[in-house]
Amino acid sequence: MSYADSVEQAASVIKQQAILIQRNLAQRKLMDALKHISIMLTELRNPSLTPKQYYELYILVYDALTTLSQYLVENHPKRHHLADLYELVQYAGNILPRLYLMITVGTAFLQIEDSPREEILKDMIEMCKGVQNPVRGLFLRYYLSQRTKEWLLPDTQEDGNDGEGQENGNKKFNVEFIINNFIEMNKLWVRLQHYGPLRERELRTKERKELQILIGSNLVRLSQIVEDDLKLYCGFILPQILEQIVQCRDVVSQEYLLDVICQVFPDEFHLATLSVLLEVTLKLNPDVSINKVVSTLIERFIGYMDRQTVDIDSIRETFKKLSTQDSTENTGSGITNSGDLFFVFWNYLEKLCEARPDLPLNDLLPLVQGILRLSLIWYPAKLSNIDCLLKFTVKKCQENGGPNVTADSEYLFQDLLLSLSSNDIFYRVLTECDSYQKLLSLQNVGLQKVIVNCILDTIFKRNIRISSKSHLDKILLICQSIIKVNNIKFHTSPLDDSERAASQDDDSTSSLLNLEQEKLAQLVHICYHKSIEKHVELLLTCKSWLYKGGIQLRYTYPAVIASFWKLIHKAKIKSKLYSSRKTRYKQLSNQLFKYVSRCLNDLFNTVGVSCSDMIFKLNLQTAAIADHLGLSEISYDFFTQAFTVFEESLNDSRTQFQAIVNMAQVLQKTRSLYVENHYDVLVTRCTLYGSKLLRKQDQCRAVYLCSHLWWATEIPLIGEEEGITKTFYREGKRVLECLQRSLRVADSIMDNVQSCQLMVEILNRCCYYFIHGDESATHVGTKYINGLIELIETNLKSLKMEESAELKDDKTMKASIHTRLVIGIDGSFINLPTAPTATLAAVSHKSPTVPISSLVLVVTEYLQRTLKYIEDQKLVDDRFKAIIL
Amino acid sequence: MLLLALSDAYIPDRAIGLPSEFKKLLNVPNKIGQVVLLGNCTRSYQFLKFVNDITSDVTIVRGEFDNATIATAQNLKEEIPMSTIIKQGEFKIGCCNGYTLVPKSDPLSLLVLARQLDVDIMLWGGTHSVEAYTLEGKFFINPGSCTGAYSSDWPLQDDVLEGVFNPEGQENGTLSQEQASPEAPSSSISNKQNASDEPKLSENSNSNGTNVGEKNEDNPKTEDFENSEDDEDIDEVDINGGCIPSFCLLDISASICTLYIYTFVCGEVKVDKVVYKKE
Repeated sequence: MSYADSVEQAASVIKQQAILIQRNLAQRKLMDALKHISIMLTELRNPSLTPKQYYELYILVYDALTTLSQYLVENHPKRHHLADLYELVQYAGNILPRLYLMITVGTAFLQIEDSPREEILKDMIEMCKGVQNPVRGLFLRYYLSQRTKEWLLPDTQEDGNDGEGQENGNKKFNVEFIINNFIEMNKLWVRLQHYGPLRERELRTKERKELQILIGSNLVRLSQIVEDDLKLYCGFILPQILEQIVQCRDVVSQEYLLDVICQVFPDEFHLATLSVLLEVTLKLNPDVSINKVVSTLIERFIGYMDRQTVDIDSIRETFKKLSTQDSTENTGSGITNSGDLFFVFWNYLEKLCEARPDLPLNDLLPLVQGILRLSLIWYPAKLSNIDCLLKFTVKKCQENGGPNVTADSEYLFQDLLLSLSSNDIFYRVLTECDSYQKLLSLQNVGLQKVIVNCILDTIFKRNIRISSKSHLDKILLICQSIIKVNNIKFHTSPLDDSERAASQDDDSTSSLLNLEQEKLAQLVHICYHKSIEKHVELLLTCKSWLYKGGIQLRYTYPAVIASFWKLIHKAKIKSKLYSSRKTRYKQLSNQLFKYVSRCLNDLFNTVGVSCSDMIFKLNLQTAAIADHLGLSEISYDFFTQAFTVFEESLNDSRTQFQAIVNMAQVLQKTRSLYVENHYDVLVTRCTLYGSKLLRKQDQCRAVYLCSHLWWATEIPLIGEEEGITKTFYREGKRVLECLQRSLRVADSIMDNVQSCQLMVEILNRCCYYFIHGDESATHVGTKYINGLIELIETNLKSLKMEESAELKDDKTMKASIHTRLVIGIDGSFINLPTAPTATLAAVSHKSPTVPISSLVLVVTEYLQRTLKYIEDQKLVDDRFKAIIL
Repeated sequence: MLLLALSDAYIPDRAIGLPSEFKKLLNVPNKIGQVVLLGNCTRSYQFLKFVNDITSDVTIVRGEFDNATIATAQNLKEEIPMSTIIKQGEFKIGCCNGYTLVPKSDPLSLLVLARQLDVDIMLWGGTHSVEAYTLEGKFFINPGSCTGAYSSDWPLQDDVLEGVFNPEGQENGTLSQEQASPEAPSSSISNKQNASDEPKLSENSNSNGTNVGEKNEDNPKTEDFENSEDDEDIDEVDINGGCIPSFCLLDISASICTLYIYTFVCGEVKVDKVVYKKE
């Protein structure tokens, strides 16, 4: 008999024969049917079929044989006796059809009561050895396994006592039967690998993987039969299977079968046989991915916790009970609890390294991470487990050449180090396991930074507060890679996806931000302790660590200083609460001011001129804080420091202007400096510096603003009230002097638009004082205001002459319509958009290129507004009526 | 049009970040049309990124701890102005941190500045304490510090933490209108409207248990005493000089500006509403 050329043909032959078989059986012509079956089965002998094609044909054949099987059972023993038939089919010509027929008849016979089941089964499995072609043999045995699925020896026996032994006997027989079949199938499967030419090896491996389910099904069957009989599993099933797995020395087979074992048998079985399973992995083919095999097992145990409804403790107890049968010897790893799941794995890890010193890190790391996860789930609070694993990794990492980790294992380290971050224990790992930091420090700097960034994010997200110095030291040690910046070359942060690039740039006017340093600064704020002294200790720790950052101090020290400020304030609150400790808190806050001063000095010496503006303002604010506490000497000291910074390192004229005005603002709110003439000295100097600014318009503005230094205004927060408090520091004469002086400067400015603008500003200042008091107090009276208005109007007249002399061509007219200007707080030109959709004004320090008329308009309109204000004030304040408009 | 005013974040110098409740409220793209940063908000990459995600239309004025320049998409060193003006609806809105304003935060000197800039609404910052009032027909708004950062000004006392605002400022220019009495009838009326009128920034702003329109007469307990080994713990707000996190949202349409004041007190977001009409 020959077979068809193609699969399609073969399939159609089989279908055709199947119809004939059905017809024959319907007519009860069994012999004819058997003949057709032989023809049909011949197709399965085709050697050119791929496993996939073979499978397709097998399915068709299986269906056809099922009809036969049903017929055989239904008609026994009326029309034939199955024992006879079993003999009869032995005479089929070819071995393959013969065996298929034999199995079909044999399994039909099994369904008949009182048939010699054991003998039939034994005979069938024995006969199967006749086919040694891997694919054909595999499918034949698969057929055997499928057909016998429901018709093995009966499981349960009706009669009680006696049945006990019998049942076990049957079960054992069945198990043996399946194992036998399994072993033979596996052998065939392994042999398939070596079929055909060498260059087709990979194709073979692929084909084998397509067939794996045939072999695996045996293990599934076993798991169904064994039910919860742990003894049978441990003592009988597992050893045989494992022996076969080890002996076959085949990579595909070993990986697949161990995986199936892990998947199909219950968790409890694995818990009981864990050490045996692990032991086996040491004996596998070196090419087998141990990590994959063990990971499956670990996943199983991690999932086990979720599947259980009882609490963790009782699960651990179960494990302890199950594992006692198993004697695990102690290798002196420091963990001695043999009922400990982690210990078993740890033990294994050590053995593995001993047995396989060649195992690459890439295989080892996922394993370590898996065990780590297992420990976190099974023993959530056990830090020593984590420490052990990390130490182990450190050792391995050092053996493998430390920081020269190849790029492909980098992500594994990253995974490992960050795998803890989602767990509650993370902070304890950071602060209590030295090995974490060691492992981190073994990585290359780039990776360290990425990891440290993630660590800090996690800490912030968890709202952790650091309250112990040793913890803080640990965390800062971990952050070392971003604290110490050796290369100040431009580099972009990995998170950078916006135009505001985080960069390390030591340019003095750098406006670029640095995300890493920002996080370090935030770290300062999460240091907290109830006790001020302990909190100070934490801050000093931060300070000395951050000092290593060099130029980066400008990002981090302001945070340290602000924290000291807060403590000063806290000391004040506490001294109010506990008056008995007043002196202690006073000393403490004096000390704190010294720390602030030290920080400012460090900043100045390390970073230098590039942040002098910031240092200036930090000095000012510290002075203000000292003043609030009535510490006039300290306050004075910080003010003089600010002056020193101003003199020595503020060069830019615009920076100088805003600095001096800012100082005037702070000085105007001080209350404690009146002793020993301090206030006088400071305000006089401030005004002097104001009058010495480079540009005249800056001089003018600074001086009229400094006039407020001689006119203290109420601070309701400390109980001052206009009209009630009598002790305001006010010297109207000096106020007027300042105003006069700034007016002189304004008058001397060549640009008469500027000049007029400044005069109107001074007029507004005069109105301010006019509201505040009588001429007798402020020395700013109606006469002076009237004179000023007159002066402005005269000047405006000459400006208008200039304007009318201007050539008015269409272009400039248009330009003047399209611009709408005002002068900003610092004299900048704010150009309002006239387009209806535009919202934001353009601000510029340069005089815009607009015709003089629109500049004049700026001033005249400003004057109009001011005069209207004066007019409005006449309604509520009679004194204004004396101002003539 | 919604305009968000944030000031004095001081991240990372004095604060770790915005309260997460604020972040949740503000993290709704395409609702807020414009953001104004009123100083001391430019030292944090994370904060600027957050603001940029709200809207790309961000206006910045310089506070005392801001650099003179900032890197933007167009210009790596764009100068930050000391003061600027925004046109929105029929309003001209002046923005200034006010750290060069002498005397600091003085209503009359603010009025002088508003007159100089010729604006109807004046936004300023620097005090870390939220306030809003009208004076001489102009509307003055200080959104306070959005992180509740420590302020080196005179510390606020507990009784001024209540955050009551007087929408009708006193016309005669006296200095006492910053904090109005809680009995002011107009403020209690506006409180009642809050629940329905508050702009829906996000779905969870209400369901999240934020205290929209709750009576602000409740005296917030700023001190949370707990016993310890030797001392009682001092509340963070007190250590920060009484500064509480706050920000302002201006809903501007034509000649009406509705101001929503968000404050974060005792773990809850409170909202107050003030309406200002241009005369």
